[in-house]
Amino acid sequence: MPQTGMERRIAEILIQELKLENVTPDTFDVTTDLVKELGIDSMDLTTVVLVLQGEYKVKFDEDTYPSLTTVRAIAEQIRQLQSAAS
Amino acid sequence: MNFDLHAVASPTEASSRTWTFAEIVKQPEIAARFKRVREYFFLRESTYDMTSRCNVRCDGCYYFEGDKQNAQDNVDPAAWRALFRAEKERGITFVVLAGAEPALVPQLLQVCYDEIPLGAIASNGLIKIPARVGYRIHISVWGSDATSERIRCAKRMLERQIEAYAGDPRAVWVYTFTRDNIGETREVVEQLAKSGCKITFNVFSSAVGYTGSLTHTPESLAETRKTMLDLLRDFPDTVLFSPYSAAAHTDANSLHDLFSCPYPRQNQSEFGLGRTFRQYRADLTWVRAAACCVPDTDCADCRHYAAGSAIVTARMNRHITNPDQFRAWLDYVDTYLAVWVPGYAKGANLCETAVPPTLAMAAGATAGGGR
Repeated sequence: MPQTGMERRIAEILIQELKLENVTPDTFDVTTDLVKELGIDSMDLTTVVLVLQGEYKVKFDEDTYPSLTTVRAIAEQIRQLQSAAS
Repeated sequence: MNFDLHAVASPTEASSRTWTFAEIVKQPEIAARFKRVREYFFLRESTYDMTSRCNVRCDGCYYFEGDKQNAQDNVDPAAWRALFRAEKERGITFVVLAGAEPALVPQLLQVCYDEIPLGAIASNGLIKIPARVGYRIHISVWGSDATSERIRCAKRMLERQIEAYAGDPRAVWVYTFTRDNIGETREVVEQLAKSGCKITFNVFSSAVGYTGSLTHTPESLAETRKTMLDLLRDFPDTVLFSPYSAAAHTDANSLHDLFSCPYPRQNQSEFGLGRTFRQYRADLTWVRAAACCVPDTDCADCRHYAAGSAIVTARMNRHITNPDQFRAWLDYVDTYLAVWVPGYAKGANLCETAVPPTLAMAAGATAGGGR
C-alpha cells in the first residue's frame, strides 16, 4: 500500500492511464513489478512517465526507464530529480 | 496539401514555449489519434527467417549477408508450431516473417498464422501466398522493371507482382530508394495507382562491408526526400507515408544516430525490445548480440523502414516538445500501423510539414540518450 501522497498519486495515474481493474490507489502494492508482474509494456510505461513529468515538473532520463519497475522506484526517482533541481 | 520542408525552421509560439504531455494530448485531433494508436501498444514483435532459399538474387540483399544465410532450414511444421506456441507464451503478439523468400514455404506460413495471426511477410511478390495466410504482405520493389532485371535478375518484376497481388488487401508494395533509382519511382507509383495498389517507402541501408553503388550520399538522400514528399502529395490514395517519415528516413544521421536503436543488437538493457525481441534464423536459433529487424545492416547507415517502425515509434518521449512534433510522431505511428497491421486503415496526416528529426535527437541528448 502507498505510504506517501506521491506513491498514491503515481498509483492513481497508473490505474487511470493503463485502465487497471480490481485495484485502487489505496490498495496498490507499491512494490509490485510493473513489467514482470503486471505485464506493462514499455510504451505504456513511457506514457505514464510523460504524465508524471508534467505533474511533478521533472524530466526523467531515458537511461532510468528500465529501473522504473515499481511505484516505489518511480517515487524515489522523482524525489531524486526534485532534490537535484532544488 | 503543401509539404514544405522549411516551414518549421522558424520558431513559432507553439515551438518556443514549454509544453507538457497533458497539454499536448488535450488537443482534440491529437487526443483522438493518440487514443487510436495507443490501442496497438500491445504489439510485441519478433522476426523469423523462414527459409534460406530464394527464387531471385538481388544486389544488396540483406539475407545473403553475414552467417545467417548458412543456417540449415528447419522444414518441420511441428517444430515451427512448437516455436510459435512458445513465442505466444512469452508475450509475442506480432511476427515478421522474412528471409530468404517466405513464399517458398507456404505450409510453414500457415502454421505461423494459425498460432499468431498478427504479422507481416516480406516477399519479392513473384509467388502468390495463399489467401488463407492473412498477414500483411510486403512486396519489394527496387526500381523500374529494367532496373529490377539488372540488379535482381528477374524479368517483368513489377508487372508480375501486380498480376499476383492487385486487389489483394494484404499487399503493400515497398519501394526501396537506392542512389540510382530515385528517378524511376514516379513511374512505379503511377503503375501501382492504376491497379489500385498501395505503396510505402524504404531507404537502402548498407549491410556491413557493402561497397556497391546503391549506398546513399547526402545529395541522393535530399533528392529521395523531395521525391517522397512529391509522391505523397500527388498520390494520397496510393502512398502510405507521412512527411515526418520522409524526414526521419532521409536525414543525414542514421536512425540509430537520431534515436538510439532499441533492438538488442544495440541495446543491452532488459527494457522494451531489449527484453522481448528475437530474430530467429531458418534453423530456429537466435543470437541476442545479433538481434535486430534487419541483421547485418550497418547501424551507421540504417534508414530501413522496418527499423524505423520500431526505433521512431519507441521514442514517443522525445516527441513531446511541442504539438507539431507530437503530431508528426503520431503520423509516423499511424503510417507504421497502416503498413504493418492487417486491417488498420491510415488516417489523414496531422502534420503537413516535415518536422526535422534532429529536434527529437536533441531531446534525446537532453534526456541522456539511453534506451
